[in-house]
Parts: sequence; C-alpha cells; structure tokens
Amino acid sequence: MTMLRAIVSARRLAAWSAVGFLLPAVAAAQSSPAITVTEAWARRAPAAHGAGPGSHAGATGAHLANGAVYATLSNGGAAADALVAAASDAARTVELHEVRHEGGVMAMRPVARMPLPAGGTLQMKPGGYHVMLLGLTRDLHPGERLEVVLTFEKSPPVTIQVPVR
Amino acid sequence: MPWRSLVVAVLLLPAAGVAAPAFRGGALEPPRPAPDFALADPDRREFRLSRQRGQVVVMAFGYTFCPDVCPTTLAEFAQVKARLGPAEKQVRFVFITVDPERDTPERLRVYTAAFDRTFLGLTGTPAQLEAVRRAYGVVARKQVVAGTAAAYLVDHSASIYVVDRAGRLRVVFPFGTPVEDMTHDLKLLTGT
Repeated sequence: MTMLRAIVSARRLAAWSAVGFLLPAVAAAQSSPAITVTEAWARRAPAAHGAGPGSHAGATGAHLANGAVYATLSNGGAAADALVAAASDAARTVELHEVRHEGGVMAMRPVARMPLPAGGTLQMKPGGYHVMLLGLTRDLHPGERLEVVLTFEKSPPVTIQVPVR
Repeated sequence: MPWRSLVVAVLLLPAAGVAAPAFRGGALEPPRPAPDFALADPDRREFRLSRQRGQVVVMAFGYTFCPDVCPTTLAEFAQVKARLGPAEKQVRFVFITVDPERDTPERLRVYTAAFDRTFLGLTGTPAQLEAVRRAYGVVARKQVVAGTAAAYLVDHSASIYVVDRAGRLRVVFPFGTPVEDMTHDLKLLTGT
C-alpha cells in the first residue's frame, strides 16, 4: 500500500513523463543508489588572487578567493529528496548558492536546500545553482580534480571527483 | 509619391539590408558615442576609453570574489577570443570591478590572467567607478547577506558592452548570450 502510494505520488510529480518511465525508476531505486551525479565540473580559479604576505587574507576569509562546482543530480528514487550540504578540502567553507536574475541584475544568495523531485533532475549551472567554495585552499587549475562530498536530506552522502575546467 | 521615387526606394532596399549589420546581440540604433572614462589597469597605467580608437572594446562589470557569473563571462571571453582568429588583435577585453574595496590591481591581474593574460582588469576610486556605471546604466549593490560566510556580496548587472573602433557603443550582450553570437557580432565590428 505504501509502495502503491509512492508510485501514485511519483506519477503525479512526473506527470509530464511517460508512465513506462516510472517502473524502471522505482526498480532502480531498490537496487542502486537513488541519487546519481553526472557532468560535475569546477570552474578554474586562482586561490589567493595575488594576496601575498601582509595582505588582508585573514581569519574572516573576506579577502580569499572563491570557486564554484556544478553538477547534474538525478533522483532515481520514488521519494523527493534535496541536496542540503556539500564539503571539500579545497575550500575553507562550502555553501549552496543560487544566482537569481532580478531585472538584469545578478544576485547570488545562499540556499538551505536544492530540491530533487522524485524521478527528477537538478541541474547546477552558471547563472543558477552552484556549490560555492569560499576561501580556496589552493589554486584550481584546469585538468586537476577536487573531491566534493554531497549530503542529502534522505539519501546517503555521495562523494564525487570533480574535474577543473 | 512619384513612381520614380518608389522604384528607387525598392531598388535600394536590398542594398540597405546588406549595409546595416545584423547583430545578434542587442544593437544600439543609432549608435551613440560611448561615454568616455579613465580607469587604472593592474600596472597602474591609465586606461582611457577614447584612446582605444581602432580597437573594439568589450567590457564586463564584476568582482573577483564572484565565483559564478563573472568567471563565466571571462571564460566566454576566452572562447570568443579563440574563435575570432587573427581578428582578436583588434579586440580588447576589459573587466571593470564593482568592488574596489577588495579588488586590488594585483588581484584583478591574477583573476583575469586565469582566463587570458591579455584581459585587462580595471579599477579606480569608488566615485570614478560609480560614474562609469551610471554612464552605462550598470547597477551594483553591496549586500550583507545572512546565511553565508561571505562578509558581503555585490549584486550587479551582468551585461557585456561593446564599443566599436570609432568609439561608439554598438551592442549589448545580456548574460547567457551564446559564444557564437558574440563572436559573430565582433567579427562584424572588426570587418572580418
């Protein structure tokens, strides 16, 4: 009965998609991880932007450089989930951010969660959602990789290796 | 209208169609002189817009603390530059800070050089920078935001402004304009 209800609610959420799509998605949820991550990449970034000794790069991190990680998250499970946190040793602080377009003005804001509907995808991309790396601990050079741990509301954490572009 | 004039008008139409460049970005018609300004490059040399005649100048506004919109624009500039081929020598890409408090000339240099060493980061006094923004209709608002470790963020316009070789403001690209479209318009403006 619970499963039936889950399928019905998933069907309602994914009303735009073919019904046949739901059955493999539900089956996959039982045998493999519900959340899959594809197309992950990080933007190249110099760590300290020329902030050498004697600069203001102090404990506040206010003068340190930042970076961004993008990825496409697919929720193959029957229940809605959400990305709620991320971590990486490439930065002092890692946050979830969203860029909002307000009449031609771009406003970046932290978000508490990025929703992942059942059977749906969440696409992080420039000018939208990103994982914000605050205070890079090292340069991000194209060709290198960094490790990022993604934490979800319900699903177990996922560790990804992110290439720098 | 005498029929003779009509015939002349019709005959001229195709020619007029060819003469007016079909920009893919937002074209400013009629083109007007780009507001002049003088800011400092990372070597503390003056960059005066009116001294750039003969070059197409492509301008973006942003800040080095910005991890998303600004590096995206600079990465797109690098792609456009690569696609321009030899015409790239006629194009100057500049990045004007909206955050002079944190963006020292040296930080601007390192930040823009991560994308291309010829990209020029420009800064000035807060009053100079505000005057440039006002002249181009650029908005920048410093915001202290809850829920982030960032001391402050700067909301800002993300459009790209293109000044032609004669110093006229010709095209504005909104954020998200495809690289092919920017390349197309810059090739038109460099006559290539």
